[in-house]
Amino acid sequence: MSNSAIGLVNGLTLPRRPIEYLLFGVLVLLTLLTPFAATSFGAASISVADVVSVISHKLLNVGESLGVRERIVWELRLPRVLLAFIAGAGLSIAGSVLQTVTRNPLADPYLFGISSGASFGAVVALTLFSQSILWLSLPLGAFVGASLSVVMVLALCGQNLSTQVERMLLSGVAISFMFGAMASLMLYFSSPQAAASVLFWTLGSFAKASWQGLWLPASVVFICTLIILLYKRQIVAMRAGDETAHTLGINVGALRLSMLLLCSLITAILVANCGGIGFIGLMVPHTVRLLFPGRYPLLLTALVGGLFMVWVDVLARTLLSYQELPVGIITSVMGSIFFLFILGSRSAKRI
Amino acid sequence: MAESDAELQPKMVLSVTDLSWQLNDKHILSTINFSLTEGKMLGIIGPNGAGKSSLLRCLYRFIKPTLGNIELFGQDIGVLSAKQFAQQIAVVLQDTPHHFDMTCSQLIALGLTPHKNAFDFTSKQDRQEVANALIKVGLQDKANQAYESLSGGEKQRALIARAIVQRPKLLILDEPTNHLDIRYQIQTLELLRTLNITVITSIHDLNLASALCDELLLLDGGYCVAKGSPKTVLTEQRIAEVFDVCCEIRPHPQHGNPLISYFYGYESATDLANKVQGGEGE
Repeated sequence: MSNSAIGLVNGLTLPRRPIEYLLFGVLVLLTLLTPFAATSFGAASISVADVVSVISHKLLNVGESLGVRERIVWELRLPRVLLAFIAGAGLSIAGSVLQTVTRNPLADPYLFGISSGASFGAVVALTLFSQSILWLSLPLGAFVGASLSVVMVLALCGQNLSTQVERMLLSGVAISFMFGAMASLMLYFSSPQAAASVLFWTLGSFAKASWQGLWLPASVVFICTLIILLYKRQIVAMRAGDETAHTLGINVGALRLSMLLLCSLITAILVANCGGIGFIGLMVPHTVRLLFPGRYPLLLTALVGGLFMVWVDVLARTLLSYQELPVGIITSVMGSIFFLFILGSRSAKRI
Repeated sequence: MAESDAELQPKMVLSVTDLSWQLNDKHILSTINFSLTEGKMLGIIGPNGAGKSSLLRCLYRFIKPTLGNIELFGQDIGVLSAKQFAQQIAVVLQDTPHHFDMTCSQLIALGLTPHKNAFDFTSKQDRQEVANALIKVGLQDKANQAYESLSGGEKQRALIARAIVQRPKLLILDEPTNHLDIRYQIQTLELLRTLNITVITSIHDLNLASALCDELLLLDGGYCVAKGSPKTVLTEQRIAEVFDVCCEIRPHPQHGNPLISYFYGYESATDLANKVQGGEGE
């Protein structure tokens, strides 16, 4: 009896469908190829073979230096690809966790008005501080603004934070509008250059990626993801509702608050480094859920988000010659088309 | 000698003393006292708004009583951690949220949560446990079906299976027979009887409560009006007072516990009493 009984709940999930094996295979292949392939795209033509030889020269000290191409690959493109991966992975996992703990399918990493808080901070940094330390002060200002918005939402909710999700979401909306208005007002009275650079920053870009700037977002996203994974069982149980989660021995208020703070930390660090990249934290978790119904693959969500972001950035670099598109525009266009597509296929299924 | 005495004396699972709960100066529960011994099934009955769900919520610590003590195996429940508490008490609630996209066995596996640490993976033994629970409630064919696609009775049994996996010493259920047809109502309560654990359940159907519970606790307006065996709690007069419904009680032909037949067409029990008296006078 025992063997047949175990067969009932193999993996505690649905039996794997062939399409899932295919998807896994494609993902593994993409993960292996992406660092080389994505690095070879860009204004200067560099072959994949060159990328391989640069990386082997730098890491293993084999072969010889390729001069300018080596500098382009090693100092410009590789950190950029890595930053895009980190940003995509971090925003996706934050979106997925927030959607679960707030039980709101429309929750995204910018839930607490983080993006408006960050742009307000960025505008303040650009207009009130000297232009000479501009690139230093903008990410810092953005991070301070983003944190400020989170603190204000938490303060607005007070003790009700853990029990009243609606109140928290509405506070986030209110704070978001307030910071948005203040940022617009300051921009209205500032110089056109400042307005242009804030606009470009708001739309998101990985152009300023560098090895020195990489360690902070990388370690924050890595550590937060690790903590989230340790609490996966509890996060999954939250899907059954607050009261049921409570009866399963989960400290619902504390878990929700700590997950909100972890996700906010990820988002604030990323928004300060790469600007406000919309839609990815909303789109990737939903896509992964569609591809793997009935599962809750957090790590896979992060992987898909990271890979997706790297290739969106490749598009941003190559779509227009001699000019870069902000990645935020591309993700937003893809996101809206994606949602229309899902709505269409869903209503077709219902009928 | 002492040991055999302890065996003869049934073990006390839960004892509640002077439990009161106020919400915004409104008395929802007032000085409730009762205790429950091992293996018994206690039914909490009473009209809508009598405080049945509130009492249960106090027992599983979802709300904190204003006054009074709740002891589980002689230990105040306030001192237990959330996890320790969930290892001993499992709860089956009425509703799951909308868009609940788990399969039947995933839902049941949630019962493992209080027994797992952050670094624990779901082992072969855990799967065995989930499978056994599925078999126990007769859902082995539905293991990989979406929970949302199950019928009302199957959903209730899946939730009970989740509670079984939790390995509780006390199982609390809030209206487990709600929205079920009579076959599933009986099936659900009989399933609870086969589990051999101590059960507290709120229940609306008095005849079902009478037939399948060992003890009853009758609540009205937050007060405990009566407690004890179904025979002592369910009397014609008490049902008239608490529910304002007129009835006749006879022993059930099968088990001898009270069988209630209600009378219809009267505004209230007092109305009926007046009419009966008037009829006798003529």
